[in-house]
Parts: sequence; C-alpha cells; structure tokens
Amino acid sequence: MNKQTKVWLVISLVLGLLALGSACGNKPSEETKSETSTATKKMPAGAASIVGIVTFIGTPPTPKKIDTSADPVCGQKSPNLTTDDAVIKDGKVANVFVYIKDGSLADGSKIGDYTSDVPSQAVTLDQNGCHYRPHVLGIQTNQKLQVTNSDPTQHNIHPTPKNNPEWNQTQPNGAPPIEKTFARAEILIPVKCNQHPWMKAYIGVLKHPFFSVSGEDGSYTIKGVPAGTYTVVAWREGGAAGTEKTMQVTVPATGSAKADFSFGEAAAAAGRPSTLEVMPALEIPLRH
Amino acid sequence: MDKGLHRFSLIVACATFLLIIAGALVTSHDAGLATSDWPLSNGQVFPKMVGNLFWEHGHRMVATTVGMLTIVLMLYIFRKEKRPWVRWLGVFALLAVVAQGLLGGLTVKLMLPLIVSAAHATLAQLFFCTTVSLAVFTSKSWMSARPAWEEERGVPIRYLCLAAAVTIFLQLILGATLRHSATWDKPLPTNLLLAHIGGAAAVTLLLGTAAVIVLRRYAAERFLTRPAAIALTLLVVQLFLGLAAYITRQASPNDPQPLNPMVGITVAHVACGALVFASTIVLTLRAFRALRPAASLEFVSNSQRLSGI
Repeated sequence: MNKQTKVWLVISLVLGLLALGSACGNKPSEETKSETSTATKKMPAGAASIVGIVTFIGTPPTPKKIDTSADPVCGQKSPNLTTDDAVIKDGKVANVFVYIKDGSLADGSKIGDYTSDVPSQAVTLDQNGCHYRPHVLGIQTNQKLQVTNSDPTQHNIHPTPKNNPEWNQTQPNGAPPIEKTFARAEILIPVKCNQHPWMKAYIGVLKHPFFSVSGEDGSYTIKGVPAGTYTVVAWREGGAAGTEKTMQVTVPATGSAKADFSFGEAAAAAGRPSTLEVMPALEIPLRH
Repeated sequence: MDKGLHRFSLIVACATFLLIIAGALVTSHDAGLATSDWPLSNGQVFPKMVGNLFWEHGHRMVATTVGMLTIVLMLYIFRKEKRPWVRWLGVFALLAVVAQGLLGGLTVKLMLPLIVSAAHATLAQLFFCTTVSLAVFTSKSWMSARPAWEEERGVPIRYLCLAAAVTIFLQLILGATLRHSATWDKPLPTNLLLAHIGGAAAVTLLLGTAAVIVLRRYAAERFLTRPAAIALTLLVVQLFLGLAAYITRQASPNDPQPLNPMVGITVAHVACGALVFASTIVLTLRAFRALRPAASLEFVSNSQRLSGI
C-alpha cells in the first residue's frame, strides 16, 4: 500500500467515524418515563373558579395574509388565511393560555404535592383548512391527544418539545386520528407542519387540570379550583418564547376569584397592572 | 488527457452546485421534515409534490441524480485516467456522495439534530470541492501547465491561497451551523453569528490579499488571474449577500414565513459561498501547479540550516 492510498484511507475512516459519532451522540430517547414525582396525595375536589378577561392595550398588530398557494388544496379551502398569533377583537385577546403555576391550598400544602386523575377524554387537535384548530390548547400529562386531519391533503404533525420526546408524523387525508400523550409538564410545546410552514399550534401540558384558554371575547374560566393562594400565569404567543404575565390569586372555598390580564406595549408602558378581585359565591336555590 | 472526462467532470460539478441550491431551499423553507420517512417520501418514490414536500423530495431527486452521475464519473475515471491519485480522488468522491446521502437520511430520521444537519451541509461543500478539483485535474490547462514561475520574495502566494481555502471551509462550517441553529421564527445565536462575521473578516483578509497579489504579480498569466479575479468578485458579492440575508431576516420576524425575499437572498448567500470556495480551490490548485518556491528563499533557508540557525 503506497503513501497516497494510506492518506485516502485515513480520510475516509475519519469521515466515517465523524458521521457515526454525530449519529450516536444525538440519538433521542425513544421512551420517556413519566415525570418523577414525589406527590402521593390526591388533589382535593375544588368548588371555586378563577375567571377573568384578557385584554390588549394599545394598537394591536394586524393579522397578515398567508400565501397558501404552495398547496392548491389549502388555497381553495382557506383562500383568505391570516396569521393567528394575535387574535384580538375589541381589545379582547383570544388564545391566551392561563394556568396555575404553583401555590398553596388553604391548609398550607403545596399544589405540587398532589396528583390529579388523568381525564379519559382525549383532547382533539384538528387540521382544517391548513390551519390548526384550536390554535392553543391545554392537556394534562398522559392525557390522550388526538390529532385529526379534516383536509383533503396530507399534513405532518411535528411538536418540538424540550422536556418531552419530539415526534414528526405524516397524516395523509383520510388517515385515522393520531393518538399521542406527553409524559412531562411543559409550557408550551410548539407544533408545526413541515409541509405547510405557516401552520402553528401550541400545547400546554400540566400535571393538574387548572388551566384554560381565552376565547374570542377574551374570557377564560379555570374550574374546580380548591381554596388557596396561587400563582396564576397568562401566556401569550409572540417573540421567541411567548410573553407571560403573572399574578397572585386567592381563591375562596366557593365562588370565584377574578384575575384579568393585560398585554400590549401600551399596558407595559403605562404600568397598568392586571386586576385581581375575589367575588362571593353566587348561591342559586334549587327548586323542588 | 481526455476531453470527454473533463467535460463530464464539469457536468458533475455543475450538478453538485444545483444540489447545494436545492438543499439550501429545503433549509430555507424548513422543509427537511416535510416527510417523516427516508429514502421514500411518505412511502412513495414519486409522491404528490405539494407544499414543502416539493422542496424536500425535489432535493432528494437532484441528490439521486448527482449520486448516479458520481458513479458514472468514477467508472469513467477508472477507464480513462492513468494517474492513480486522480483515480483515488474519484473513489473519494463516490464515498463522499454515499456518506452525504446517509447523512441526509440520518438527519431526517433523527429530526434534524444540529450536528448532523451541519455535517450534511459541510460535507456538501467538501463534495462540491472534490468535483471541482476533478474538473481542474482533468482539464487541458492543468495537463499542459508546468511549474513555470518562481514565487517572488515576500508572502508565499501558494500558502496564502491554501490558508484562504482552509479559512473559507471553516467559515462554511460556521455558516452551516448558524443556519441550522434556528429556523426563521427563532433568533440566531449571537455567539455563532459573531463568529461567522469574524470568519467573514478573516476570509476577506486572506482571500483579498491572495487575489490582489496574484493579480498584481502575475497580471499576464490568465491561468492564475482568472480564478483570482472570479474569487475576488464573488467574495464582494458574498459579503453583500450576507448582509442582505441578515437584514431580510431581521426585518420580518412576525411575517408569515418563509417569504420569498428571505428565501431568495439566503439561498443566494449559500450558493455564492460555495462558488467562493470553489474558485479559491481552483486558484490554490493552480498556484501550486504553476508556481515553484523562490530559489533565493530556498537558498536562504539552506544557508540557515547549514549555519545552524
């Protein structure tokens, strides 16, 4: 073997090892065990709610038209599709994910010390008109997420979590729903379709059921909250990782606590706080 | 020298350049995972190429063509070429294109980990450089050129060109890593961005100096001045494209991406980077072919050795 032969062999070997090394070094874990938790107590049933309205102060960004011509089906079904990162109507903000981050129940125990039952009902994320519906959704850890395709074209669903395994699955038109779960809590997992790059959704995964998403009127309701004092967070899409507003909320044993959130540059500039108010329980007598 | 072999090498080099553009279009459209399987797309050889699958499957089709062309090129080289090192370069090209295909598959299967995607983009440039080198080595001008001119005193131009080529390759690795670090909806990592800007300064300094020296010292020798002039022109274009790519990205972070101006300029930046590298490789190879060390320098060096300095 002459010198040149040896040189080329060494180069080939190094390239092969580099490729192998990079492959092995980035292999994601196929299985993720459920989040390790020391919580043993079952979450007590609550009778109160946290309610509120999310508003936008200032000039809201204008939705921009999306060019869907890359897929004729999308162009036909959604000819006037616009960006939905800021759905704001009359100053009310939709698609804000509001949830209890942490806090204590009335007896002083931490909310993280409790476990919650996993709902048997799946949460649905539909692809309709080359658009995710809903745009923002909440789900509990290990609760089923059902992804459906209502479009006569194929999509691929690609969540890009940080704490849960990433997956990317193609779903042709007419294919059965895809069912997945997320084992770890994560705020919030971006979901995209690599076939139609404008499609985006966000999934908030929590260990408890105390979350909600604001509707088009900006309102939200978190039901069944046990009495206590909690840190409530409102997350809104925008920027690299979204924008958060935080508030301490005291929830009575019955009735509801009000927690309004405000977003927008004008709200920040004016230093306008989000409002908090405890409302008495409304008792409605039952008629027999 | 076989004219047909040279022409075919040129065809493979041009096809590889198109492949780099096709790959850059995939990255700019975030289409790398438009299908979750590989080597088939959605289980089909010819899927319906709508949405981003057009870019991803199109890239695979161009890549398959280049792979086939490389096999033919290697066979052609073994049939016509007598120089063993050129034959080995043909084998290396084939191994590189196979490795490149496997890296492409791996990056899809592993969902675009940064190191594999960056390695895929880097090997693409290395493979392009190999095909360009084969075209140079099989050309008439290469075969007829002999070490004719002595290097003048001062900076040894051959090693300056080599340093420029190596720096460009490192800059291409940085660029590939930067590009695959963040899709359009995420901010570019500042440290990588600054390193890439620093790399651009280093390339400008080295390649600019090398090209200007070549143009001044060997003004009458088109064998050297042509690649030097091309490399210098492309370098200037590349610097403007880099700036434009950054501005278009920063100007529209909230727009429904990918927008055509951002895609077009970024892909042009990648393609022009490949051409700067290729022209510098040609310049370096030709400099080593046509120039020989200055006798006086050798004499000084030998004198120093003899006197124990």
